[in-house]
Amino acid sequence: MSAKARAWATGLLGLALVSSSLARADEFPPPAVASYQITCKLDAEAKTVEGTEVLTWKNTTSHPAPTLRFHLYLNAFRNTLSTWWRESGGVGRDGNMPDSWGSIEIRRMTASDGADLLPALRYVAPDDGNPDDRTVAEVILGKPVAPGETISLAIDFLSRLPRVSVRTGYKDDFFMVVQWFPKIGVLQDSGWNCHQFHATSEFFADFGKYDVSIDVPARYRGKVGATGSLAEKERELSGGRILYRFQQDGVHDFAWTADPGYQVIEDTFREAGIGDVALRLLLQPEHSAQAERYLKAAKASLSGYGRVLGPYPYPTLTIVDPPWGARGAGGMEYPTLITGGTSWSAPRAVHRPESVTIHEAGHQFFYGLLASNEFEEAWLDEGFNSYMTDRVLQAAYGPNHVELDVFGLHFPLGIDIHYPLDANRRYFETADWDLLASPSWKFRNRKSYGAMIYSKTALTLATLERLLGTSTMDRVLRLYADRWRYRHPTTKDFVACVRDATGRDWGWFFDRTFYASGVVDYAVEEATSVPAKAPRGLFEKDGALAAGPPADKARPKGYDTVVLVVRRGDVALPVDVLLRFVGGREHRVHWNGEARWTRFRVSGGPRLLEALVDPDEKIVLDVDRSNNGRRPESDPRAATRWTARAVFWIQNMIDFLTVAW
Amino acid sequence: MRDRGPRALTCFVRGLKLSLSKPYLALALWLIQLLMAAVLVLPISNSLHAMLDHSPAADKMVANPDYGWWETVRRTHPDLLGNFPELATGLLSPEGVKWSELPNLRGIGAVAFSLALLATVLHAFALGGMLGTLREPSSSLVTFGREGMRRMPAFLVFTFAAFGSAFAAYEWIYQRSGEEMRERAHALPTEPMALAVTGIRLLALVLALAIIKLLADSVRVVWVARPDLPPVSRFFFGIGGALSRPLRLFGILGVYAVLTAGLYVIWLILDPSAGGEARFALVPLILSQQVFVFIRLLIKIGYYAGVSEALTRTPPPEYAYSGASAPPPRPDEVPLENA
Repeated sequence: MSAKARAWATGLLGLALVSSSLARADEFPPPAVASYQITCKLDAEAKTVEGTEVLTWKNTTSHPAPTLRFHLYLNAFRNTLSTWWRESGGVGRDGNMPDSWGSIEIRRMTASDGADLLPALRYVAPDDGNPDDRTVAEVILGKPVAPGETISLAIDFLSRLPRVSVRTGYKDDFFMVVQWFPKIGVLQDSGWNCHQFHATSEFFADFGKYDVSIDVPARYRGKVGATGSLAEKERELSGGRILYRFQQDGVHDFAWTADPGYQVIEDTFREAGIGDVALRLLLQPEHSAQAERYLKAAKASLSGYGRVLGPYPYPTLTIVDPPWGARGAGGMEYPTLITGGTSWSAPRAVHRPESVTIHEAGHQFFYGLLASNEFEEAWLDEGFNSYMTDRVLQAAYGPNHVELDVFGLHFPLGIDIHYPLDANRRYFETADWDLLASPSWKFRNRKSYGAMIYSKTALTLATLERLLGTSTMDRVLRLYADRWRYRHPTTKDFVACVRDATGRDWGWFFDRTFYASGVVDYAVEEATSVPAKAPRGLFEKDGALAAGPPADKARPKGYDTVVLVVRRGDVALPVDVLLRFVGGREHRVHWNGEARWTRFRVSGGPRLLEALVDPDEKIVLDVDRSNNGRRPESDPRAATRWTARAVFWIQNMIDFLTVAW
Repeated sequence: MRDRGPRALTCFVRGLKLSLSKPYLALALWLIQLLMAAVLVLPISNSLHAMLDHSPAADKMVANPDYGWWETVRRTHPDLLGNFPELATGLLSPEGVKWSELPNLRGIGAVAFSLALLATVLHAFALGGMLGTLREPSSSLVTFGREGMRRMPAFLVFTFAAFGSAFAAYEWIYQRSGEEMRERAHALPTEPMALAVTGIRLLALVLALAIIKLLADSVRVVWVARPDLPPVSRFFFGIGGALSRPLRLFGILGVYAVLTAGLYVIWLILDPSAGGEARFALVPLILSQQVFVFIRLLIKIGYYAGVSEALTRTPPPEYAYSGASAPPPRPDEVPLENA
C-alpha cells in the first residue's frame, strides 16, 4: 500500500472511529451504576452533617458480588493512626493540619428487604494493611448481588467535619462539605476497586444520579452551592431552617458548600456546540474585584477544553472561592462544582486565579467525563488536565509572569513564564525520583508526586503534540474523549487512541516516558569551525606516490566544521540537529537519538554560526536546555552584562548588611 | 522629653553638605565595598562566561533575564547559587527564616554570610575613620585610615553588639511571632487582617532595628566626640544622647531611609541594565551603576554626619581636635580609645 493510500485509510479509519464514538458522546445521561438519594442536616455549631442516604447500586460485572465496599473518607482525619496521617505527617494542603478531627460513623445500614447489614460491617485496608485505618468498610451481604442485578440500601450516617486543611471541612461559618457520605467503591471483574484515603490520592467512582436535600440554618439563605441544579425552590423549615434540593444525573460525586459571607454572582457561558452553562460564582467579598477574572477563566476553560474534547453536557458550573484560612479547600474539582484559589493582592499580570480556575474547570472533562482511576493512574486526570490547562492559558492569556511574595503581598516581576516548559519546571528538579506510572500513594513524597503526575505528564503530552503536530494531537484527544466519555479509561486505552488516530504504534513513546524513570537530555558538546587546511602526506600523481597534494586539493576553501551531539539522559527520543552557517545556509539532520553520541562533519563549507539540538523545542522533556546549543565563536557580552549586574547588587547587599549595625 | 536644637532635616542637610565636602570618604567606602564584592563576583563571573559565551541563548540573555535559563542554572549548578533563592524567599515571608537553617546554607548564600561578618569588621573600621574625619576641619584619607584604626577595637565591639541585637530582634520580634501567629493568622476572618498583623510585626521589627541602630550610632558619635571622658562615661553619654533626642534622631534616620529608598525607586524605574545594548552599552551601564553606589554612599555618610550634628551641635572647643584652646590629642596619647 502506498503512503498516500495508507494515509487515506488511516483518515477514514479515524473518521469512522470518531463517528462511532460520537454516538456514544450523545448518550446523556449515561447508564446509572451508583445513584444516591440523600437527606442531610447541617449543624453549623457542632460542625456535623447528619444524613440518610438511599443507595441504588447495580452490579455491572460478570461475577456475583457477595460483599460491598464503601469509602468513608472523613475517617482519614479521625486520629493520627490513619493511613492519611501516617503518610502525610499531618501536613495538609495549606500547612499543618490543626488538632481538629473529622470522622464518619455509619449508624444504620439496611437492605431493601429490611435486613440489618451493620453487624456485618468491618474495616479493611486493601492498600497498606493498616489495621487502624477506617477509610474503607466492607459489608458482607446475606445474598450476593447477581450480575446485572440492582440492590438498594438505606444508610444513616453522621459526619464530623474537621477544620479545613485537606479539601473538606469548615472555617467559622464556611463549610466545604466534600467526601462526606458513605460512598460505594467501583466493582470491576477483578474485584472491588476501593482504595484507602491517602496523602496524595484522589477519587474513583461510578456514574449515577444524585438527589440531595440539604437542611441548613436560615442564615445560609441563598448562600448554598452544590453539584447539579436546584430541583425545587428553597423550602422553609421549622426552627429557623431552610431546605435546598439539588439534583444531577450522570455524575460520580456530590459536593456542597455554604457560607453566609458569599457574594453570589451569576453569569452564562454560551458557545454553539460546546454548551449553554449557567455559571454561579460564590465569591468572598474581599475578592469582589476578581469576579471578572474568575468568570472569564471559567469561560475560557469550557470553551478551550470543549473545542478539543467535545461539549460540556451539564447545565451548571459552580465556582467556589474559599475564604482566607480555608485555602486547603481551594483548587479542587467535583462534578459541576469547583473551588478556586486566589489572594487579596493577586496581581493581574500573574495568572494564579485564572490558572487554578481553568485547571479545575478542565477537570470536568479529565475526571468528570473521562472518569479515570485517580488512585491508580492519577496522571490521566491531573497530568492530562495540566497539559490542556497550559494550552488554554497560553491561548487565552499569553505568557504568565514570575511572582514575588513580600510578607504576604504579591507582586509581579517582569519575567515571562512560558507554557508548557517554564510552567512545569518543577519536574526537572525531581526528574528521576519516581516512575510516573505508579499508584498515587507510592511516590517518594508529595513533591515528587506533583512533579511526576502533573508536570511530567504535561511535558510528555506536549512533547507528543510537537512530534505529532497539534491537529493530529487534537484528533487523538477527541477520539479518546468521545470513546471514553462517561466511562473509566486507562493509560492503555489512551495509547490505543493514539495508535488509532495516527495509524502508527506509539507504544515505544509511552514506554520511555510514562513507564520509565530516566530523563531526556541532549547536548551539543562540541562545535568547531576552522579554516580548511590542505592535506599533507603522499598522494598519487601520474601513477606514482609523490609528496604534496594535487593542485585541486592544495588550496582548500571554506571551513571544516565538527559538531558533536551527545545523549546525556537515559531516555532516547528522536531529535533534529540544526547547523547554521554564515550566509544563512542551514543543514538540518534528523537523528533517532538512540546512540550515546553522533558527530557531524562538514568540510569546506561556510563558517559555522551555531549548532542546535532540538532547535524547535519539540522535546520539552529535555531536563537541561541550556546545553542544547553551542557556538564556535565566543561572545562574552551576555555574561559580562550579568556580571556587572551581579557586582552592582552584591555591592548593594553588602551595604545593606552594614546598615543596621 | 524635650528635644531642642536644630530640626532633623536641618541636621541631615548639614550632614549631607559635610559629606559632599569630603567626597574621598564615599570614595573610600565605595572601594572597600567593591573589593568585598569581588569575593563573590569572580566565581559568578567565571561560571557565567563558561555557560554563556558559547551558548546561542546568550543573545536573548544580553537584554533580558530568561526564566528558563536561570532556573536551569540554579538547578544544574547548585554549587553556584546554592539555596540563596530559598533564603531570600524565606526572609520575605510572613514567617521569616530560622537561624537553625544557617548550617544549611550553600553556595553564594554561605559565602554571603561569611562576607557579612567580614563586612561588619570593615564597617567598624570605616565608621571610626568616617566619624573621626568628619570632625576634623582639615582632613584627608590619611585621617580616615588613622581614625579608623584608632577606633576599630571599640567600634568592633559596638558593631558586634548591634549585630547581635539585630539578630535577636529579628528572632524574637519577627520570626518567633510569625511561628506563633501562623495558625492564628489563618483563623482571622480575612486576608487583609492577616496582612495587617504581619505589617504590625514588621513595623515592630523595623522600630527595634532603628532603635538599635540609633543607639549604636549615638554611642559611636559620642565616642569620637568626647575623647576626654572615660570609656564607660562615653558609652552612657552616647546612650543618653540618643534617649534625649529621640525625635530628632528618628527624623534623621527617616530622611536617610526615604532618600535611599527614593534612589532605589528611581533606579528600578529607569533600570539601565534592562533592554540590552540598545539602551545602555556595557561601559555606560557599569558607570551608571557605580555612580549610583557612590551617590548612595554620599547619602549614607550624610546620615552619620547628620547624627553627629544632632548629638554634638556645638562641640565645645576644648573637645574638638582642632579647637583653639586644646591641642588635638595625638594617637599615642589616648590609650583609652582601645580599652
